[in-house]
Amino acid sequence: MTTLQLKNIVKRYKSQTVLDDLTLDVADGERLVLFGPSGAGKTVLLRLVAGVIEPDEGRVLIGGEDMTDVDAEHRGVGMAFQNFALFPHMSAFDNIASPLTATRSSKEKIAAGVQKVAKLLKIDHVLTHHPKALSNGQKQRTALARALVGSPPLLLLDDPLRNVDAKLRFEMRLELPRLLAAQGATVVYVTQDYKEAMALGDRIAVMAAGRIRQVGTPQEIYNAPADIEIARLFGDPTINLLDVVPQRSGEGVFVELSNVRVRLADYDADVAGKECVLGLRPEAISFADAVAPGAIPVTVEAETPLNEKTVTLALTARGREILVSRPAGTPGPVAGPAHIAVNGTQAFLFDKTSGALLPRADLAAKRSGEAA
Amino acid sequence: MASTETLRRPASGFRISRKMLPYVLSLPALLVCIGILIPFFTAVIYSFQRYRLSQPWSRQFNWGENYLNFFTDPAFWNTLKVSLLYAGITVTLELLLGLGIALLLQRRSTINNFISIMLLLPLMIAPALAALMWKLMTNPSFGILSYLASLIGLHDFRWASSPDTALLTVVLVDIWVYTPFIMILLLAGLRSLPTQPFEAAALDGVPRSFVFFRITLPMLTPYILTATLFRLLDSIQQFDIIYAMTQGGPGNTLTVFQVEAYLNFFQSTNVGRSAALLIILWAITYTLSNVFIKNWLRLRERARGEA
Amino acid sequence: METMSPLERVLRGLALTLVVVFFMFPIFWIFLMSFQTNETILAIPPSIVFSPTLSNYAALITGKLQTAAGTLDIAFMRNLGNSIFLSVASVAVALVLGVPAAYAFARHKFKGSEDIAFTLLSFRFAPPLLVLLPLTQYFQWLGLSNTYFGLIWVYQLICLPLILWIVRGYFEDISADVEYAYRIAGHSWFATFRKIALPLAGPGIAAAGLLAFIFAWNNFVFALVLASADKQPVTVGALAFVTSSGIQYGQIAAAIVLSVTPTLALALYAQRYLVEGLSLGAVKG
Repeated sequence: MTTLQLKNIVKRYKSQTVLDDLTLDVADGERLVLFGPSGAGKTVLLRLVAGVIEPDEGRVLIGGEDMTDVDAEHRGVGMAFQNFALFPHMSAFDNIASPLTATRSSKEKIAAGVQKVAKLLKIDHVLTHHPKALSNGQKQRTALARALVGSPPLLLLDDPLRNVDAKLRFEMRLELPRLLAAQGATVVYVTQDYKEAMALGDRIAVMAAGRIRQVGTPQEIYNAPADIEIARLFGDPTINLLDVVPQRSGEGVFVELSNVRVRLADYDADVAGKECVLGLRPEAISFADAVAPGAIPVTVEAETPLNEKTVTLALTARGREILVSRPAGTPGPVAGPAHIAVNGTQAFLFDKTSGALLPRADLAAKRSGEAA
Repeated sequence: MASTETLRRPASGFRISRKMLPYVLSLPALLVCIGILIPFFTAVIYSFQRYRLSQPWSRQFNWGENYLNFFTDPAFWNTLKVSLLYAGITVTLELLLGLGIALLLQRRSTINNFISIMLLLPLMIAPALAALMWKLMTNPSFGILSYLASLIGLHDFRWASSPDTALLTVVLVDIWVYTPFIMILLLAGLRSLPTQPFEAAALDGVPRSFVFFRITLPMLTPYILTATLFRLLDSIQQFDIIYAMTQGGPGNTLTVFQVEAYLNFFQSTNVGRSAALLIILWAITYTLSNVFIKNWLRLRERARGEA
Repeated sequence: METMSPLERVLRGLALTLVVVFFMFPIFWIFLMSFQTNETILAIPPSIVFSPTLSNYAALITGKLQTAAGTLDIAFMRNLGNSIFLSVASVAVALVLGVPAAYAFARHKFKGSEDIAFTLLSFRFAPPLLVLLPLTQYFQWLGLSNTYFGLIWVYQLICLPLILWIVRGYFEDISADVEYAYRIAGHSWFATFRKIALPLAGPGIAAAGLLAFIFAWNNFVFALVLASADKQPVTVGALAFVTSSGIQYGQIAAAIVLSVTPTLALALYAQRYLVEGLSLGAVKG
């Protein structure tokens, strides 16, 4: 186990700034997920930590030691690549053994080490195969085994599940946390899949355009996305975003949706009159009786059953599209006019110009104990 | 668990820094090439000198005189004319022939692949030796080609030894050696073309001449350009075939740039004029190669993308 | 292409036959000549029916040529040896110099790398005599005239750009991640170069080497300008051969056959890579 600190990292390619004054701390034994859309600079950042590319500015500290000018082979990190990057001319055994051969261990020690990690990853039967003869899943496990075999204190995993099929990805998502916990290493895990990020991360660092936009536990990020962009990236189906101008009344702050008032109990009066974007997770909306208080008339357009929930696309009276999610198997309208109710306590307000989340009053107290 | 301390070697001792590494790796190759660049600059200096090996005492800078003299020098104009004529004729004929053969061999089949490999052989023969082969075949007393010429009524056809047919003969050898070059480049190009446009055209019953001129040729253009420029660069500098066949003769029939420069240097020992000739040739090839490299780079990028 | 009329089929066949005859006949004919005596060669009309003789080859190998004027010593075997030595040594030097440089150009986009690579490439297209003529004088000063060392150095003009550009392409085709993975596993750049880059680019390096060998072997002008008889390769030696009087034509043919056989054999062996090599990687074969 070790710590990782990145201080004011800048990386440019030609005129393009790929990493822009990036600072990040990863604690000892922590599993940090770097999450962001492609092109955010996640892979570049990982390679920079591994030492195969150099930052233009800033320092990389591993275990408190400045490693910025240290070559990759002396940093003692393990890394798994998105495209596996197996050595095509070596057997799976030699691939996995490569971090051990570098330390000049004895043949027996190497063989034992490889066997152990191969058994753990269930690839001990294909060790003699060359990468060409391995299935995609086996390749991925070989790449993972190669990263793990040397028990590196710092493990970098670059979207290792991206190039495997859905079934395998699901399996590995369940298996990985146990595996990583057994390693006891500090882990930086890159992914573009928010579910993976939520499932694997102790903390998640959200990256976009070469900057870290928010760092927090999965719950913090889901329940208080720092800006519209992050709110949109986290959540499936995507969050509903509606332009609103909050108003205030005697009871507190409210917004009007299709002339129906929705109270936002979490917000202070000072947001009133501001141009805002209202963020409503599909699960914060439910179908309601027409007579229920606060019911908003909509027209149901389409319904998509997902595994554990059903997502409905509805149009408001003003023609705005709204996604409504409900647990699968519960009844709901399939087409035609219906009404929805909005849970104002689960709504977010973002500043329309900056996109930043507007501060809620006493959020932590209210949210504690609630699941995502 | 291995700690970073044990893995990390001290930074002292023999270690090439990351920034220096590429320079260190390419330095030996560069040094060798610098040794070759020096004579190039020497040649530039020579070209501005009055310099005859037979009269070393009279060596002095005459600045542009060697070049200025060319304007009134019929031998120079002959050199320019023959060089351009040679390059023009060989490249045009080789392009037409090479394209024709590539089209004939376009479809992948055992026999076509076999023929295309066989046709490579002339290209792998040293041009100087190819010239000797043709010299044996055009020998007036026993050459098979002279015999064949006599069969169609061309008695005493003198091939390379007559000023009238010397150019034709060396062009023939050039075509024999280098047509396969254009052929294999265009064949590779043809075979890498996407098939959909052709299938669509065949379905629509588009006439084949239209397919050729409107689809095949435009798509093949980068390959044709690359092959042509490649050949043009070589052809305008042709030395081996001409020197081995006729040494520039008979008379000055075939004194192309490099042959003329060689003769100037070693026979008339006129170093200044020889160098000036080569600088002019270099200027021509440099211009051509700049056009060429641009086109070639595009093609290379595309080949990399497909790999 | 799918539907060919019978007429077209015949015309295509005819055209291909003509092409094959034109390009193959000279090789075939010289090959025949090399087994003929002067009498059969000079016979009119020429015939392809004759009793073959190995005397031409025997004379070349022993170096003693029987002529009307007596025995003539011809060092053709020495020329052949020179060709082999010069080509092998030049390619070896070019590989040692060129492969690391190609790796540097492929992997590190360092300052000026493209400029340097292009300068090297431009050697491929510069008139060789432009460098050779001044070089004769430098070589005299340096004592390199008519030495193998000097010739091998100059042969780098042909071999080095070829190897640099072809091998660079092969290195670029190796995924950078694969090399990164090996570095991160704890191996130095040199171990990575040796254990990852070299084996993976191996076939390309071999092909580039073979092509460079063919080009070095076929070179004429370098040795013509810089070497005297005892260092000359076959290309120059064969020319001297033709002009020396009293030589039998069959022996010239035999010398040509011996001179072109190595390159033809290599070309057939490496034909898969020829397209790529000849176009310096611009066209994938």
